Amino acid sequence: MTLNLSRRAFTLAGLSTLAAPALIRPAFAQGANVVAATFPGSWEDAYRTLLTPMVQQAGFGLTVAPALAQDQIARLMASPGQPPYDALLVSPGQSDILIQNDLIEPIDPSRLKNWDKLTPAAQSEYGPHVTIEVNGIAYNPQVVDKPAGYKALFEDPQYEYNVALIGFGSNTATMAYTEINKIYGGTYENMQPVFDLLEAYLPKVGAIATSGSNQMTMYQQGEIAVFMASTGNVAKLRELGMPCEFAHPESGSPSVPVTIHLVKGAANPDGVYAYMDAAISAAAQTRLAEAPTAMIPTNTDVPYSAVVSEFVTPEQVANAVYPDWQAINAHRAEWTETFDRLVVR
Amino acid sequence: MIRRDTLMAWPMIGFMLLFFISPLLLLLGISLRGADGGWGFGNFAAFLSDPFSRGVLTGTLALGAKVTFFVSLAALPLVMLYWHGGPRLRGLILICTLLPMLTANVVRTFAWVVILGRNGPISQSMLALGLTDRPFSLLFSEMGLIMALVQIELPLLLLPVFAVLNRADRRTLEAAETLGAGPWRAWFSAIFPQIIPAVLAGWVLVFASATTSYVTQSVIGGARLIYLPQYVYREVGVLFQWPMAAAISILLLASTGIIMLGLTMLARHERLQGHG
Repeated sequence: MTLNLSRRAFTLAGLSTLAAPALIRPAFAQGANVVAATFPGSWEDAYRTLLTPMVQQAGFGLTVAPALAQDQIARLMASPGQPPYDALLVSPGQSDILIQNDLIEPIDPSRLKNWDKLTPAAQSEYGPHVTIEVNGIAYNPQVVDKPAGYKALFEDPQYEYNVALIGFGSNTATMAYTEINKIYGGTYENMQPVFDLLEAYLPKVGAIATSGSNQMTMYQQGEIAVFMASTGNVAKLRELGMPCEFAHPESGSPSVPVTIHLVKGAANPDGVYAYMDAAISAAAQTRLAEAPTAMIPTNTDVPYSAVVSEFVTPEQVANAVYPDWQAINAHRAEWTETFDRLVVR
Repeated sequence: MIRRDTLMAWPMIGFMLLFFISPLLLLLGISLRGADGGWGFGNFAAFLSDPFSRGVLTGTLALGAKVTFFVSLAALPLVMLYWHGGPRLRGLILICTLLPMLTANVVRTFAWVVILGRNGPISQSMLALGLTDRPFSLLFSEMGLIMALVQIELPLLLLPVFAVLNRADRRTLEAAETLGAGPWRAWFSAIFPQIIPAVLAGWVLVFASATTSYVTQSVIGGARLIYLPQYVYREVGVLFQWPMAAAISILLLASTGIIMLGLTMLARHERLQGHG
């Protein structure tokens, strides 16, 4: 087949093709827009619904981009010099990696109107803590009794074939494993006790899922009845109509603050400050403390909501276990490898 | 000198070079970066010298082969039905084949979570029929994963075969029968050779899709069945070992690519094209 294409038509077609990218306005070119990474699911929904109008009032647009904490770092590392996000939402495990890799920068607290309302523990050099995530054990009361703690899950026969586990890619699982390891005599430098325990328990495990959300899907389907979870996970399952309760481990509830960070080289730092201020405002935290998010407030003007109080008290939060993330990060890759090799059939 | 009738292809060739070939070259470059900042094949050597990693690689290729085999078995009766059916039945089969493809792979995977679960229809009907004394789950098992992948990948084999069957020459079948062949022998000697290239093309698609189906592998297979796409994700998203992730990606691409190339060359073989 021979195409009859005049030189003029070919030139026009070529120019049009070359001009096409200029017609598509890239998102990062919008100066007044903030691209903020948040955890997918209830966080994403709540932040988009609640914070977008507040940030707009301050004169900025807000794009909420859902991504797991580790994915946020991976994407940031993949685009050196051209960060895909202006703001991140992560836990201390990831914050340490971000600081070490020079991916975030300290903030100027004087630019946050609500800074002084935060609890002292929530006033971090690299950004405000927007909530404290308290972790423990989620269980289905229609299937099993309330577990006395982590040890019961591995020693009481009623939990056999009901417990789900996940790997060290999850913060919740990592904290649980380090706590269980301590209970069985281990330390951050010696995780062998927990690996021995897991190896012996594998034949009786309910499921080994690939992620926290995968575990929640399995719970909804009745495949499992117990998993390591945050209070937020339990609130979400309850909202979906599932019978779900939260149990505090015997060694204390491993907890992590969740922090908004300003990305180094962010396209819109002013917008990030507006976004941070909205997230720590009493108005936002009062709403976020209600179901289904049930986030523990860090703004001192916001009391614990009824649903949050069902899970934790301010005293429990004050006495919670705050893991050593520097020690965890130093070994996390090695633990992840060991876990994977242990569980793969 | 550029032929005028190829002019329209050049923008697409340029596009492919820019957005497909150059990222691949970049990936190859990253895979050659060592932990010490030097260059070499250290990541490939580390992966291939580790029995666990080799097991993941062979397990992934074996999964692709198993899924391709079972997809072929599942496709056979549908192909026969399509061949013998009238226009209405053919239309119905075609719609039933295309319909699942209109929903996202993620949706189909989560539908299989329900089907394979202990409260799902498979377990419950076995229980009702007295074939088992308690509910069971096929989730997080290779059997469950293969079942889901077979259903998800089936259209990739059926569609090219249906396309060939639509223009297959029925007179060759009549000729075979006239020469004394029974119905099965006539079909396999007269029609089957015509669809072999389409079958091989379908196998290429099914194999490639099954070995790289991250969502289905991770959701249905769980963490105890680890395949290369999950391995790559772990290296990138959990361990941040980008050069190793790139090396594994290249190995996945190369190993599936070699098998696909072999099948494609087979499909182009003169005898399979009916010219031998």
